[in-house]
Amino acid sequence: MKNPLLKRLPKELKTDLGKYLVIFLFMTLTIGFVSGFLVAGSSMSAAYDESFEKYNIEDGNFTLSSKASQAQLERLEKEGVRIEENFFVEEDADADSDGKTDGTMRIYKNRTGMNLICVMKGELPEAEDEIAIDRMYADNNHLSVGDSMKIADKDMKITGLVALSDYSCLFSDNSDMMFDAVKFGVAIMTDPGFDSLGTAHLSYRYSWQYDKAPKNETEEKNMSEDFMKVLARNVSLTDYIPQYSNQAIHFAGDDIGGDQTMMEVLLYILIVIMAFVFAVTTNNTITKEASVIGTLRASGYTRGELLRHYIALPILVTLAAAVIGNILGYTYLKDICADMYYGSYSLPTYVTRWNGKAFVLTTVVPIVLMLVINIMLIYRKLTLSPLKFLRRDLSRSKKKKAVRLPAFSFMNRFRIRIILQNKSGYITLFIGILFANILLLFGMMMTPLLSNYQKKIMDNMIAKYQYMLNVPEDEEDEEADADSEENKLTLMGILEKMLIPSLDTKTEGAEKFCAYSLKNMPKNRDGESITVYGIQDDSQYVDLDFKDEGVYLSDGLAEKYNIHIGDELTLKEPYADDTYTFQVAGTYDYPAALAVFMPIQEYRNTFDKAEDYFNGYFSNEEIKDIDEQYIATTITEDDLTKVSRQLTVSMGSMFYLVNMFAIILFAILIYLLTKLIIEKNSASISMVKILGYENKEIISLYLTSTTWVVIFSIILSLAAASWIMTAIYKVIMMDFSGWLTLYLDPVIYPEMVAMGLGVYGFVAAMQYRKIKKIPMDQALKNVE
Amino acid sequence: MILTKKEEGDSQREEKEVMFLEIHNLKKSYGDGESRTEVLRGIDFSVAKGEICVLLGPSGSGKSTLLNIIGGIDDADEGYISIEGEKTADMNEKTLTKYRRKHLGYVFQMYNLIPNLNVKENVEVGAYLSDKALDIDDLLKTLGLYEHRHKLPNQLSGGQQQRTAIGRAIVKNPDILLCDEPTGALDYNTSKEILKLIQEVNRKYGNTVIMVTHNDAIKNMADRVIKLRDGQIRKNYVNETKISAEDLDW
Repeated sequence: MKNPLLKRLPKELKTDLGKYLVIFLFMTLTIGFVSGFLVAGSSMSAAYDESFEKYNIEDGNFTLSSKASQAQLERLEKEGVRIEENFFVEEDADADSDGKTDGTMRIYKNRTGMNLICVMKGELPEAEDEIAIDRMYADNNHLSVGDSMKIADKDMKITGLVALSDYSCLFSDNSDMMFDAVKFGVAIMTDPGFDSLGTAHLSYRYSWQYDKAPKNETEEKNMSEDFMKVLARNVSLTDYIPQYSNQAIHFAGDDIGGDQTMMEVLLYILIVIMAFVFAVTTNNTITKEASVIGTLRASGYTRGELLRHYIALPILVTLAAAVIGNILGYTYLKDICADMYYGSYSLPTYVTRWNGKAFVLTTVVPIVLMLVINIMLIYRKLTLSPLKFLRRDLSRSKKKKAVRLPAFSFMNRFRIRIILQNKSGYITLFIGILFANILLLFGMMMTPLLSNYQKKIMDNMIAKYQYMLNVPEDEEDEEADADSEENKLTLMGILEKMLIPSLDTKTEGAEKFCAYSLKNMPKNRDGESITVYGIQDDSQYVDLDFKDEGVYLSDGLAEKYNIHIGDELTLKEPYADDTYTFQVAGTYDYPAALAVFMPIQEYRNTFDKAEDYFNGYFSNEEIKDIDEQYIATTITEDDLTKVSRQLTVSMGSMFYLVNMFAIILFAILIYLLTKLIIEKNSASISMVKILGYENKEIISLYLTSTTWVVIFSIILSLAAASWIMTAIYKVIMMDFSGWLTLYLDPVIYPEMVAMGLGVYGFVAAMQYRKIKKIPMDQALKNVE
Repeated sequence: MILTKKEEGDSQREEKEVMFLEIHNLKKSYGDGESRTEVLRGIDFSVAKGEICVLLGPSGSGKSTLLNIIGGIDDADEGYISIEGEKTADMNEKTLTKYRRKHLGYVFQMYNLIPNLNVKENVEVGAYLSDKALDIDDLLKTLGLYEHRHKLPNQLSGGQQQRTAIGRAIVKNPDILLCDEPTGALDYNTSKEILKLIQEVNRKYGNTVIMVTHNDAIKNMADRVIKLRDGQIRKNYVNETKISAEDLDW
């Protein structure tokens, strides 16, 4: 015979449909979203990994100052590589054809060997004035197939939207901290179309692949370094990017699935909160049904049978949410999550794949969590003796003394009693509000944080333009001299003989500086790039007085790695073992990068440079009298604010989603727990009605106590959420390169309080109606 | 184990009798120090299989505590209870639950029905516990509840609810039916109806019935009457003038 108590379950479900439905919907959405996220992540990650082979992605690329001769290429290919032309032209782009340049388009010929193209929509161009542009750029600039745009003042018809396999992330320059899919795009044209753009902005880029693929990362690095030396000796190199350090290829791959842990933790926290809600409400039901439980226990029902009965619905609801959530995850929500990646990256199309791990994480783990928490909290209550249940005496302590309250007014003492009586519900409410507020704070703080970061960067810009120059390094490698004939063509040879004299400028206000990139050496993690600046004494751009011995750190560097004045900072060469240790003398407001500032002379001494060495200019005027080919990078306001701009584009919708999610969570918890408290007190409410209390007075007793708790929880949780968020933020930022200064806009707090109270007001109005509806005979019925 | 014992004051019975339930020197107190209350002060009696035994006494005399100890939901400080020779004091929690499951049916003054199960389902709750359960529909007919079997408890009168509770207790065909003030919440007519039912169940299924009541008139339907006061047995006798519950009057 089936346990007849099972027949209660559908009836329970029906009776308390509101509670179960709300929790079910919330869990379904959460599980669905996380499942979708994991499935989309793993499917896209797999598509991304496969793209290396499928689209035959290069092992690296290098750019030359002029086209390489056939002989040079043949010489290079003897090093065990295949080399292919991958020339591009970079032109001003006018996406909305309004006559104003609003970005840059990097145009390639169609590829047939390496770095193949994935056509996402439409087709490849066939005519000279046709172009297929990057899908991401198209989306961000509201362009689609059939539209026209101006490139280099020429009208181009867009025939297709594509993903270039070597530009899954639109980094225009590999040294950029952040990609830019708004103002920078890549495109494909026919050979005649490409040629028609001329050579004025042509870059001689070549892609290479090793004949014999490296076995591991170390070998890859060694091979790449060896190849670079060969290149430097044989051709005039202006840029060299091995695949492993190419952010345009690797950034997306590193990011996809990178947030998985965070999503899983988020899911589990939410499940735990829901499990607590279930456990608290079930405990309330047990209290209500104490005498029935006593009778059943006295008749021989075991604790296990009753436990299974009481946790059946939470488990069934979780199971249903897991199943439906996963179905939604694999169908609808997966696409939303994939769109989030497609909203940032130019990834090729993907095929949905079964993800066993995701299935376990979104079904088994939530059910186990639900089971464990409910068993822990409910079983304890069920261990009470049948007699205690029969007597409705469910307190554990033998003599429970009433807490003595100060001589407040009767109404206030009454309210405090209600709070004390419903401690567990209110504690769950507080934890829930805290968690919702952490989420809400995260969602709300990011946009002002990014604006603040942008503003700070602009306020603290060293100069309008920072020019990094292509300056020859002192070549110590004697091999370089070995091939004297070819030496004339090497990077070093050309630069030494031709560039140095032309590095001077007559631009007013231009100030020389030195800069070099080193890596820091944090414990238990990889180091990141730190720019070391050598600054002139009495610099008009960097307001630092190097009176004390030591270096100054950008505030972000000090903040991120918790470095204080007087500490020592050790940095190392990125590709060698040499280390440099600096004494920290202070910090400098420079949020744009992780940087170290030192006097230029000390810089030259430290890095063993000539007395007059420099490799950059700060200038508020554009420098026009240095040949462009000797300028490695120009850093302008646009470049520095790229991070905040791109993050706003990529993550803006996510922040909004997080906010929505937090508010829904907030509303659900307040609804469920206030409902619980009112249900728990329905007999008392009914009784005070019989005694002659008016609805207004009853509301002021029962809802006011909840209002107190909600207000207190919101305010306290805001403080706690800020503290927790500061800690979490630091952990999150440790995984990113660079540092976005944490800024919690004070305006957020009143907004959050208002939102919280607004939601509570809405729920309270619903509960007000509920209280009004409690009939007077409930008290009498409940006596039984 | 079946015990054979001669009861004191049992003069009109056969000399030797098979005793089913034996209670020996049962003591129970609550509280410590000055607030210590002795509820049972050495209770000894036996009940034969199939008997209706009424425990009579005023409030606070210890009758409900005694019933709860017999039912295995409370424990004694001293003494023991044995049912067919098995001492409940030797049982651990798990075995006690099994003992209740196998041997006992409970009826309380408050019916304690499951509000969202109908009459038949409430009876099934009892049937589930037994592998020798009675036919539910037959039992419902005996209880006069067959027509009401699809009703929820709140659609029933007090008497009907108590009948359902008796049905739930009796359906598993327990060896002992423990009734704690089963008519305490009912009016005269309904009380008689319930008592008749208990008697009928006893006759039909042969269960031993132990009924706690403070209503003196009910003793007349019992085979054995035990009067308690201040935790002690004041009277323990076999009722030679047992009458039908129908004829009870108070």
